Amino acid sequence: MLRVDKATVYFAARDGRPVHALDSVSLDIPDGGFVVALGTSGCGKSTLLNAMAGFLPLSSGSITLNGHAVLGPAKARGVVFQKDTLLPWKTVAENVALGLKFAGIGRKERHERALDLLGLVGLQDFAAAAPYELSGGMRQRVGIARALAPEPDILLMDEPFGALDSMTREAMQELLVDVWAHTRKQIFFITHSIEEALFLGTQLIVMSPRPGRIVARFDLSFVNAFARDRDARAIKTAPEFAALREEIRAIVHQNEALRIAAQ
Amino acid sequence: MTDIVAGAAAEEAQTPEAPPRVVKMRGFGIGERSTLPISLTTGVIIVAAWWGASEARLVPHLFLPTPREVVNAAISFYQDGYANASMWEHIGASLMRILTAAAIAIALGTPIGLLMGLSRWTKGVFDTPIEFYWPLPPLAYLPLMIIWLGIGELSKITLLTMAMFAPIALSAQAGVRSVSIERVHAALSLGATRFQLLREIVLPSALPEILTGIRIALAVGWGTLVAAELIAATRGIGHFIMSASQFLATDFVFVGIGIIAACAFAFSFAMRLIERWLVPWKGQS
Repeated sequence: MLRVDKATVYFAARDGRPVHALDSVSLDIPDGGFVVALGTSGCGKSTLLNAMAGFLPLSSGSITLNGHAVLGPAKARGVVFQKDTLLPWKTVAENVALGLKFAGIGRKERHERALDLLGLVGLQDFAAAAPYELSGGMRQRVGIARALAPEPDILLMDEPFGALDSMTREAMQELLVDVWAHTRKQIFFITHSIEEALFLGTQLIVMSPRPGRIVARFDLSFVNAFARDRDARAIKTAPEFAALREEIRAIVHQNEALRIAAQ
Repeated sequence: MTDIVAGAAAEEAQTPEAPPRVVKMRGFGIGERSTLPISLTTGVIIVAAWWGASEARLVPHLFLPTPREVVNAAISFYQDGYANASMWEHIGASLMRILTAAAIAIALGTPIGLLMGLSRWTKGVFDTPIEFYWPLPPLAYLPLMIIWLGIGELSKITLLTMAMFAPIALSAQAGVRSVSIERVHAALSLGATRFQLLREIVLPSALPEILTGIRIALAVGWGTLVAAELIAATRGIGHFIMSASQFLATDFVFVGIGIIAACAFAFSFAMRLIERWLVPWKGQS
């Protein structure tokens, strides 16, 4: 379980004044949990993810994974980035196997495991391709396979589908649910799409900026319905999905209006 | 709906011969068409002007030999050598110096430059001497090299190594700065140690800039080489040019210049091949 306890972050602005980016955020991601963070730009969701990944120290508060304090990046916490960070001098399979190489696993075994993971994301035929020969959606699938390779406890995903067109995006959401159902990893997923957030998570947190904080939490079950029935259209057009979507939209807009009024 | 599609298909079928007019975005700058014919024509015009001016004696013969004389001088140099050494011995001596110096400069400059990009201490220590001596013309400190290290190979190779070290180290340092923080974060969250990060991420990311630095270093090297051989040498293309000029043998000077140009061009071409082989992804990401 990943536990965030009263995480607070201040950045230094250009003029040196502290900027309150994250205000006492507490959050538990249980084993097998799929937590989605939703919010407008600047609401601190990426700051929270960077702190979970160990890229950013906290000003105060703590983050622990299975009881161990997060003190820096480690392979127990896999990260999928918004911008793909594949290495162009390695093939797709070598990129997926990178974490295994760092762990000292032999060439043959890591290639086999890379092929298995590429199969999981439907790219087994592209093992020998160069990353720049793939489309944006395919590159993000490679990124997911690469993050899964060292068998992390949790997958941290920072708007991984933000740059994709909406058709590819829906296919990627369904693929991610399959991966999650198959591996049962904990997932922390950032998005600014309300529909994506509702469809994917078992738990949804809505965040609001200045300072970044959690303003609402929901337990969701649409993702379980999809894992069972595999009918994404039926879920997204169901009345309870639409009702919740409007409720969350109202929360986001209300917070946005309050923020603008406060300025 | 179906009718419209069928109609469009029938219309298309009626004119199967008409080739489509392929279009693309209007460009800017020189475009994609080869500049080779223009360059070749320019070369031919320059040689023709040279030939015309020298054969017509528009310029004193001592200043500008005819192409025929230069070819004869080249043949004589090839067959009989010059100043007690054959042509290959002169070229070999120069190549040996520049390649030895390049090997030392690459072996020292790459790791030191990478460390300068990664460690505050290394940067602090090496910045001062490099920034001090790098802008100096090598000819300015050549006398010191000769006084300290003698007139043998050691002083020349040291001079060349110093001239070539700085651009390689500085470009390696710039290469480290160009590594994206996301790639570093990705590698660290995949469990990379500091050394693995350096070898798998930082070095390949910096490689294009290091290769550019080596190209600049080789160009600097040729300039410095001739200067070094002008002063203290018994062999080498620079020495060959120098001693030919003392006899006012401008045709041999032309031959020497031609040989240096050919060598420098070959080096530059080889670097381009190496770049294509080592960094095929350049410009792709």
